[in-house]
Amino acid sequence: MHFFSCFVCVQESNMAEPAVRPEGTSGGIVIKDDWPGYGLDLFSYPAHYAGDLDCVFIPHGMIMDRTERLARNIMDDLGDHDIVVLCVLKGGYQFCVDLVDRIKALSRNSNRTIPMRVHFIRLKSYLNDKSTEDLHILGAEDLSFLAGKNVLIVEAIVGTGKTMETLLKYVEAFRPKLIKVAGLLVKRVPHNAACLPDYVGFEIPDRFVVGYALDYNEYFRDLTHICVISKRGKMKYKI
Amino acid sequence: MDTAVIKGPIVIPDDWPGYSLELFSYPEHYHEDIDSVYIPHGVIMNRVERLARYVMDDFGDSIVVLCVLKGGYKFCVDLVEFIKVLGRNSNKYLETRVEFIRLKSYLNDQSTEELQIIGSRDLSFLRGKSVLIVEAIVDTGKTMKALLKHVETFEPKMVKVAGLLVKRVPNMAEDLTDYVGFEIPNHFVVGYALDYNEYFRDLNHICVISKIGKMKYKQEQSNG
Repeated sequence: MHFFSCFVCVQESNMAEPAVRPEGTSGGIVIKDDWPGYGLDLFSYPAHYAGDLDCVFIPHGMIMDRTERLARNIMDDLGDHDIVVLCVLKGGYQFCVDLVDRIKALSRNSNRTIPMRVHFIRLKSYLNDKSTEDLHILGAEDLSFLAGKNVLIVEAIVGTGKTMETLLKYVEAFRPKLIKVAGLLVKRVPHNAACLPDYVGFEIPDRFVVGYALDYNEYFRDLTHICVISKRGKMKYKI
Repeated sequence: MDTAVIKGPIVIPDDWPGYSLELFSYPEHYHEDIDSVYIPHGVIMNRVERLARYVMDDFGDSIVVLCVLKGGYKFCVDLVEFIKVLGRNSNKYLETRVEFIRLKSYLNDQSTEELQIIGSRDLSFLRGKSVLIVEAIVDTGKTMKALLKHVETFEPKMVKVAGLLVKRVPNMAEDLTDYVGFEIPNHFVVGYALDYNEYFRDLNHICVISKIGKMKYKQEQSNG
């Protein structure tokens, strides 16, 4: 038998605090530290990963439901201004595609539309499961087309915020009108308060998660649910 | 050697409060009629996908799905769709036929005594077949037991029961349901085709109805 642990649902909050943000203030669905996840066999997943995963942390369907809501929140805020979506590859691509799809669906079924453009940039800052110091931004050499536009940065996961901070500084230099950030997952770790995304899917504990385009050395991108990698998986796919 | 596969169900504990409404999308006309999102639509879909695989494993090459309307129709459609997807992407094909039966056994949120079949009671098309009864919710099991008895009179080859939700109640019939999506506490839930006097069928998540909702959509008991 497997258990749903307590997902605590919270309202959005605009508190700005230094260091560790208290649980539940990100605006996302809170997944508590002691959440054990679901047993793998309760869901469908690619058989080649049997043994490499500990549990299903967030089922794919729930990600989709939450994304649908974020799309609505984005539509409400960004209204009729056209936006450039800046998708952070590779981890962000699945979230970006699903989010943009939802925004498009809302758009075509209402009299409020957002003309949208999507641009891709690639960041490289992880080796195995450790964040490295340097941030390489690929595909962003010339972002001058952002000048005067509303920019929505779409990122899969925000941890310490160092990467996001570097990226924001870089994008700001091109003088967009407005920058908003959508992050599917925000980790509950000591981080820079200024780097909390405007739209948060889920607030999670500090565990290394894979799936839904989040990889471990390029593996697990073909997994639809967000899962926790097992010790065996870490060894097997280690570089 | 059998590996210990955990077949579920997903157990939702008594103190599970559900998710706050504003974290999800739902029809605005229900915003004061539901307390919380109990099981998001996406999680239901993922779980149903898994159940489809159990069904594929247990049934041979053909199945007659007996869908219990109206509450069971979404679960049935989604389950059958996953079975079809599995079928066309593997060398195992399960020839699926779907039949419908309509039961009326709830007034407001109280289960009534008798099994009332609306429409024909003739289920002779089940004779010699492998049958899967698909029901949205199994409560005390009274309805399901009565239905099983009725189905058995038509001499099917095999009968299994798939229930999306099974309630944890005192007189719970263990082992009545072969494939269970979620085991839930004894709350009155709506959505995903589960209704309250015909309302909430257009809600995609499974939610808990609020006091306001219960009053608003209440139906008086008829005396005739």
